[in-house]
Amino acid sequence: MADLPRYIGRLRMVPKSLWVLVAQFAVFSLLVPNFFAVSNFENILRVSSILMLASLGQAIVIILAGVEFSVGSAVALCSIVAVFAVQSVSVPMAFASGFVIVLVIGAINGTLIAYAKLPPFLATLAMLMLVHGVASLAVGGLPIEAPVSESFYWMGRGKAFGIPVPILLAAFGLVVHYILLSKTTFGRQIYLVGSNERAAHLSGIAVNRIKFLGYVAAAGFVAVSGLILTSRVASGQPNLIPNLPFETISACAVGGLSLAGGRGSTLQVLVGVLIIAMLNNSIVLLNLPTAFQLAVLGFVIIAAVVFQTTPDRFSFLSMRAAFAQKTKPQGDA
Amino acid sequence: MLLSRHLCAARQGSRDGRCLWKMAVMSEQSSPVEKAVLEVTEVKKAYGPTLALSGVDMNLYPGQVHALMGENGAGKSTLVRILVGATQPSGGAFRLNGERVNFHSVSDAIKAGIVPIYQHLTLFNELSVLENLYSFDTATAGLLPPYLGSAAAETAKASLARVGLSVSLEQKVSTLKLGERQLLEIARGLQRNCAVLLLDEPTAALNAHEADRLLEVIRGLAAEGVAILYISHKSDEIRKVADVVTVLRDGRSVICGAPLKDTSVDELVNAMLGHAFAVVDKQMPVPGEIVLEAKQMVLVPGGAPVSFAVAAGEVLGVIGLVGSGAEEIGQALAGARDILSGSIAIDGQLAHPYSRRDAVRRGVGYVPPDRHEDGLFELHSALSNASASILKTVSKFFFLQRKKEKASFSSRFQALALNPNEPDREIQHFSGGNQQKVLVARNLVITGLRILVLTEPTRGVDVGARDKIHDAIVEATHAGQAVVLITTDLEELTSLAHRTLIVRNGQIVRELPQFSSPDDVALAMLEQE
Repeated sequence: MADLPRYIGRLRMVPKSLWVLVAQFAVFSLLVPNFFAVSNFENILRVSSILMLASLGQAIVIILAGVEFSVGSAVALCSIVAVFAVQSVSVPMAFASGFVIVLVIGAINGTLIAYAKLPPFLATLAMLMLVHGVASLAVGGLPIEAPVSESFYWMGRGKAFGIPVPILLAAFGLVVHYILLSKTTFGRQIYLVGSNERAAHLSGIAVNRIKFLGYVAAAGFVAVSGLILTSRVASGQPNLIPNLPFETISACAVGGLSLAGGRGSTLQVLVGVLIIAMLNNSIVLLNLPTAFQLAVLGFVIIAAVVFQTTPDRFSFLSMRAAFAQKTKPQGDA
Repeated sequence: MLLSRHLCAARQGSRDGRCLWKMAVMSEQSSPVEKAVLEVTEVKKAYGPTLALSGVDMNLYPGQVHALMGENGAGKSTLVRILVGATQPSGGAFRLNGERVNFHSVSDAIKAGIVPIYQHLTLFNELSVLENLYSFDTATAGLLPPYLGSAAAETAKASLARVGLSVSLEQKVSTLKLGERQLLEIARGLQRNCAVLLLDEPTAALNAHEADRLLEVIRGLAAEGVAILYISHKSDEIRKVADVVTVLRDGRSVICGAPLKDTSVDELVNAMLGHAFAVVDKQMPVPGEIVLEAKQMVLVPGGAPVSFAVAAGEVLGVIGLVGSGAEEIGQALAGARDILSGSIAIDGQLAHPYSRRDAVRRGVGYVPPDRHEDGLFELHSALSNASASILKTVSKFFFLQRKKEKASFSSRFQALALNPNEPDREIQHFSGGNQQKVLVARNLVITGLRILVLTEPTRGVDVGARDKIHDAIVEATHAGQAVVLITTDLEELTSLAHRTLIVRNGQIVRELPQFSSPDDVALAMLEQE
């Protein structure tokens, strides 16, 4: 077994979802008119940058064996705070306040989960409703418009070096996320806590602190995604993007993150988001009703997760894993 | 004497020896010889190449309490699993009332009348006593629950009376005491067709009074003619309740159905342990200055305080039966459990506050008893599993230094003979012994290590890994570390420990010196209060 060529071992590291993405790309390029065009690729990336950044945040929480339902509400409140603020302060300051409000929501989530020991599902569900309520009350239920200003639009619609700013921000987010998870001590601690909280505690890791900081770090990514959206729509809306929590969880699942926590990579998030983005894009290109998107998305989640989990038993590469499992000595006789 | 003759016969695996012994037992029975309810003949069980049971004989008679004893890993659990239909034997035969049976599932065994009562109760805590008594019937009932009507209530009352339990039928199980729950579980089993009542360490979680009451009930049931198999480590308890005893060692019945009144404690201990011990002289250092001191430490409400000290280079053995409080002492020393009163001092300094994190900072390593629940990070490499306690040491600013991380373990893994020596391989693809080596390595590298607390460090581990882990412990003592070794493995304990504390009911009841034999320790553990 040890004689397997090295590159096969490496291939095993490639997320299976990447093969799905490659196949999807090939099929869509052949069958969907206007799909294979540089302008369309740019469009896909620009549109998906919001989902990308929010999913990067979601992934941190999922690796910590948690889940974050309040991202949609947080982004909505972010837009409202930024639009309110821009009426009295400069655009950068307004965006900074939007950023901070999302961090505060993340810190509240982190406190509830790490220190008050609420289950993540419940804590963030409650925060979804609470933050949404606050956002609606703040604007009396109706959207508020941002004053016309080029600098306010820059983040969501502008370009730098000929590339749309949202794409640059998403790329930057991917790099930061990758470094954070796989190069830093904090990242390793996130994986260990997500894998086995008790073992992490007994190893001397400050489990509560890591969980708290994990939710705050996740909020950092969500905040950038919220600012891009705010800038693009140039308004503060309590119902800005209600499906965001579910889309981000879907992206993580499609990419191959285990919802049980402890594993998952930045590359998987990227792949998951692109699969969903290409799908949505093709539905638009094919002039199908947008209601189609949700139905297809549901189907894709099931298909992708089934593909990634079940064939494990048959694939050659995982046979040695299965073999190792079987030859495990029986415990207490 | 007769017993030793039998032992020899069993060792040679001679059929004649077995038969001879059975006849001897029969003739000694005072009551008229009845037919066995359950006959177990030459039962074997193989897991892959390893034989968990290599030939067990045991006959259960109505009205007799039959004790089953044996060390951890002797095959008791496997035998129980076979009896209750949870797994199938690889060889041998079962006869129930003279008829050959084969249980394919747990429900087969229940239908045939094998009623198991485990340490971990299987009652429904939020349901009433009545609903629980009928929970088996409810599983297969039609539209209406089977516990409606006065007839059902009468039957239920009768079952409760049979085990001497006086609680109301409407009471929720969660309001009952542990001892009462155990009796309720027995009553539930008896209410159905019960040929054999199988009790697996039933008193482990009970206090002395509750345990006595349970033993009385068991005697009463035997007097009614129920055949009872009673599994326990506690020899005083077995003497109180059982008529005959079967002892397993290495998957074989070395004593089968010997009357207890003719069997001495020595003989039982010898039979359980065998005399296969090659006492390897480990070169242990002479203990130095006191490193760790526990003063008047109380771990459970109302518990007795314990005090002891461990010196540099010393291995302090701690042993006690399941539930004795030995494991809790380890948790407290490692900072993984709050102490209610008293104190822990390290190098003369009071350790307070003392969380697990503080303990790691003060150089206290801890190997927990359950490596899967409390130790391993599944899906992560052996290396990341090993480095979990020294992430700070192998980091610069906020960044992990992979090379340094890897380098910290290359010699460790070599010394422990990690096999395969592939630190990047995911931990679940290693054997249990190698997983345990990784856990030990995690604690050996703790920065400024002073104290190692090891709980069952070689449980379920093969001989090779066991030797390597023992070598690592010896090496740690030579490096001046204090070791607290909490184990139920007598050979491990006696070959390593400078002193051994015997723990019972959360108290240190005796201290044995170095070079005590395993038999001495076993006797001290089992001796009556």
